Amino acid sequence: MQSEGAIQSRFVVRGVVWAALYLFLILGPMFALLAGSHPPTRDFWTEFSAAIGYAGLAMMGLQFGLTARFRYVTEPWGEDVIYHFHRQISLIAVGLVLAHPIILFIIQPERLALLNSFTAPWRARFAAVSTYSLIALVVMAVWRVKLNIRYETWHLTHIVLAILAVGAGVAHMVGWSFYLDDPWKRALWIFFALFWIALLLYIRIIKPLFMLRRPYRVAQVRKERGDSWTVAMQPEGHPGFHFRPGQFAWLTMGSTPFKITGHPFSFSSSAAVDDGRVEMTIRNLGDFTSEIGDVPVGRRVYLDGPYGAFTIDRNPADMHVLIAGGVGITPMMSMIRTLADRADKRPVILLYGNKDWDTVTFREELDSLKQRLNLTVVHVLEKPPAGWTGEKGFINAAVFARHLPPPFADHEYFICGPDVMMDAIEKALSELGVPLSKYHSERYSFV
Amino acid sequence: MRRLLADWLAVGTALVVIAMSVLFAILRTSNNFR
Repeated sequence: MQSEGAIQSRFVVRGVVWAALYLFLILGPMFALLAGSHPPTRDFWTEFSAAIGYAGLAMMGLQFGLTARFRYVTEPWGEDVIYHFHRQISLIAVGLVLAHPIILFIIQPERLALLNSFTAPWRARFAAVSTYSLIALVVMAVWRVKLNIRYETWHLTHIVLAILAVGAGVAHMVGWSFYLDDPWKRALWIFFALFWIALLLYIRIIKPLFMLRRPYRVAQVRKERGDSWTVAMQPEGHPGFHFRPGQFAWLTMGSTPFKITGHPFSFSSSAAVDDGRVEMTIRNLGDFTSEIGDVPVGRRVYLDGPYGAFTIDRNPADMHVLIAGGVGITPMMSMIRTLADRADKRPVILLYGNKDWDTVTFREELDSLKQRLNLTVVHVLEKPPAGWTGEKGFINAAVFARHLPPPFADHEYFICGPDVMMDAIEKALSELGVPLSKYHSERYSFV
Repeated sequence: MRRLLADWLAVGTALVVIAMSVLFAILRTSNNFR
């Protein structure tokens, strides 16, 4: 087994290489404009405005790549970091794209006439379409929940607006043609635009085509405590894939993998199986998950995975501390079941927060798993039953101090649960002097 | 904490892009790239 340091440094190097390539793909096409012959020079602010316009457009185009689920790219960071970066960088791209015309309007107010779409030339109309689409896209992404937009509706709109924003942006750039009069520079930028579209086609068409050849069948649907269901899926006509305990996959229910919206779920089953069978445990959260219990055995489904950096296999340790809140138990269950199947003798402490005793998913199985591995389960209940002598309230630094052997900084911590709980636990661990490198979390509330 | 990492990556990217855009404008207005 490789040391933790060796594994981590390999991921750091890969992460830095991908970050450098990302910056190159934003800035390279812009600096290519300086090669060869140049159009007449303009003042500093006009040139700066043009530069941020080009950079902003490249950032928008590369957004298709950030969500294209290239496992080799996302692995060093984890999907949740990549998706959060995708969201944050879109705000910056919007800032740059908006600053581009604002600077031009300030230094040359007569250009404000271009805002009149009835009289403006097509290149200015394309710029307006691109900017308005981008603003709508960001508003819908940031306030989707407040605007009460269904995830599936939002997802489709998001893709349409993104194509519109980038397509109109490229049309504006080519239409203006100040820098792109040179045929090879125009060809270079059109090539980049095609590259961005290819990234989108990869995730929407090419990847589903591969998934089409690797379908799964629902083998079993089991009711679990806590209004949750475990869906067991068996590969059909192929050996399936090997995942690492703690990882997840995108699940698409139904007869086609070409559906716009898949949903990410952690595996809850052991990773130490040979027949490719996987299980996901899904809680009814009132959205599409409310129909999980009605999924018939034999239904065809598609899985895109495995993904995620949240795994015990990537962080070898002498002792694992697993901290779960509610349905955040699913990746932990996969870790515990896998360690049991591997006859791992290292101690595992599970701190498991729930609302009440009746809704503790996997309660009985966790109890029986104590026979097969060195597992300690500490239940923390928000509303404990009468006579409860265990932990009450929420998992916090005091609970850690009572149940974990010091020094706290020596253990590896895995955290999964609601955002509020994860924020509180990360803060508590930080107060206990646990270094960042020792705790691992993955958040699936991508949007 | 992981989101903080993504936040800082985004801020770092923004700073590099803005700095490089300034460099682009300086180079374009310099004698070499006229």
